[in-house]
Amino acid sequence: MIKLLDKPFKAFTIYAMVILLVSIPLYFLVVDWIWVTEIDDNHEIIMERIENRFEQAHVSGHDLETILHTWNTLQPSSSIMAISENITRQDSIYEVTKYNEYEGEWDRFRGLQTVIQIDKKPYLLNIETNVEEAYETIFAIGLVTVVLYGILVFGFIQLNRKISKSVWDPFESTLNKLKSFDLSMSKEVSFEPTDIEEFDALNRTISKLISENVSAYNQQKAFVANASHELQTPIALLKSKLDMLFQDEKLSSEQSELVNAIQIPLARLTRVNKNLLLLARIDNSKFSDISEIDFAEKVEKSEELLQDYIVEKQLDFHKKALGKCVFLCSKFLAETVVNNLLSNAIRHTSKNGEVSVEWDETGFSFKNSGNEALNQDLLFKRFSISTTETTNSGLGLAIVKEICKQNGWDINYNFLDHFHIFSVRFGKF
Amino acid sequence: MKILVIEDEKELARDIVKYLSEEDYRCETASDFATAKEKVSLYQYDCILLDLMLPGGDGFDILEHLRSQNKQDGVIIISAKNTLEDKIKGLNIGADDYLAKPFHHSELAARIHSVIRRKQFDPSNLIIQNEIKIDLLSKTVHIGNIAILLTKKEYDLLLFFIGNKNRVLSKSALAEHLSGDLADMFDSHDFVYAHVKNLKKKLSEAGYGNYLKTMYGTGYKWEL
Repeated sequence: MIKLLDKPFKAFTIYAMVILLVSIPLYFLVVDWIWVTEIDDNHEIIMERIENRFEQAHVSGHDLETILHTWNTLQPSSSIMAISENITRQDSIYEVTKYNEYEGEWDRFRGLQTVIQIDKKPYLLNIETNVEEAYETIFAIGLVTVVLYGILVFGFIQLNRKISKSVWDPFESTLNKLKSFDLSMSKEVSFEPTDIEEFDALNRTISKLISENVSAYNQQKAFVANASHELQTPIALLKSKLDMLFQDEKLSSEQSELVNAIQIPLARLTRVNKNLLLLARIDNSKFSDISEIDFAEKVEKSEELLQDYIVEKQLDFHKKALGKCVFLCSKFLAETVVNNLLSNAIRHTSKNGEVSVEWDETGFSFKNSGNEALNQDLLFKRFSISTTETTNSGLGLAIVKEICKQNGWDINYNFLDHFHIFSVRFGKF
Repeated sequence: MKILVIEDEKELARDIVKYLSEEDYRCETASDFATAKEKVSLYQYDCILLDLMLPGGDGFDILEHLRSQNKQDGVIIISAKNTLEDKIKGLNIGADDYLAKPFHHSELAARIHSVIRRKQFDPSNLIIQNEIKIDLLSKTVHIGNIAILLTKKEYDLLLFFIGNKNRVLSKSALAEHLSGDLADMFDSHDFVYAHVKNLKKKLSEAGYGNYLKTMYGTGYKWEL
């Protein structure tokens, strides 16, 4: 994954590189053209001056020859030679490369060859000026370009960092708020105001989305709570009527068996409804009976209640205290967690199996023997089907999970050495 | 024995009355707040069954009214609001027991039996039924002069049977009585059979008559 700002940065860098690379020959051509034009102009001026000065000096004959000889010997960049009269030469501009004996390298020269009149006789004037070599020019321009490019990229990086820090700040804060948002915690999210239009629009859209979701979630919660509340009376009546029917002396044994059979799904219905109500109450966090809970005591109590089921299944049940496990929690919720986890373990262990409870200062775990691992993803979900057993209300573990969440505990499921392990760890209080 | 059933669900009230009137209880009903308050003020009951959510008012107010008049009627709250807070509040105001709906009538009968017994100010706290003598304070059971050692669950079952004499008790009602709320988490309640068998054996070994009958396929009955 790359950061959003790095994407234009990469494009900018490549674009700058292309432009700068193209600029190197372009600069060279322009610089060279200016350079050469200037030299040619200069040659023209020098030629005119030489002609004028010789004319004004009025030298002739022997003197002229001496001067010209001295000129040609001392002047390195120009020469004046006598030519026969009948030769008419036009001005010519040329370029030569000559070997420089002093520096031991080839130099480029720009020359002007023309015919001038001195003392009414034609002379061939030759002016040459050293021009910078093409490769040297290119090298210099290239160097400057590369250095500039370096500065440019460095600047881009710095600016990028600065911009991403300041400009993306509101975005980051929005993102962090969203990351910590939990629909079930029913906490409103408020975003910091920003002066950037796009982020402001984003924040407003998200706020709207969240409040719509929260209200839909609350409606759904209220619906479940109301529905299960409304179901209580019919369930109570149903149970009452069955009890009455059961007392009827005219009931044949077949009929009473039928009544007994109805009791089983009715018990399940009761349980599901009770659990739904409980879940709704946990969601609304309406528990005030917080006190210090001694885990060992709660296990003892739960074991006593479930003793019959343990004996019936001939389970090997043992407890192991690795430390004192005391924590702050609603008494009712603590009992619910222990009861649900223990009865869950007992229910899902086959006859003659093994169930154990372990605890220390940091948490507790319930183990029971089993054959294959359960599906972790579905385990704590409401009404997920992880077994074919019919008594399972499908809510026991969801309730445990919800209680753990309320208290900031971690609950985990593991399958090790043919043991299902549900462990609860307290976070930091 | 006089019992007042304060319950707005008339069908449920009728069933309760019917179940209870087979014992020597005389039942009256009140289906709204005003009637309930009036009856509670005018008469004395051995036990009042109090629903918390009533048309016209809150059941807790009736309880408070009752206790403010220094009336010592036994009160059992029967409520669909199965929350610990309500339970604690009810018991603090002066209810004698709290039973969450839905319940088995047998459970209700046993609780009423127990509340009335406690209210009778009988210093010996004895239940005597034919040859059996149960001391509720020391939790001991005698048949004639023979003391019978019962486990806690067998003792609970015995009291449950005595509180529901001549009724057919289903296995699930017995299991619920023994394991409370947790019973409906399980399919099989076969352990009830083992406890009843042991209780029966201990009673008959001490020479007690065969009052505890097994109704084939349905449950048990304490016949007198």
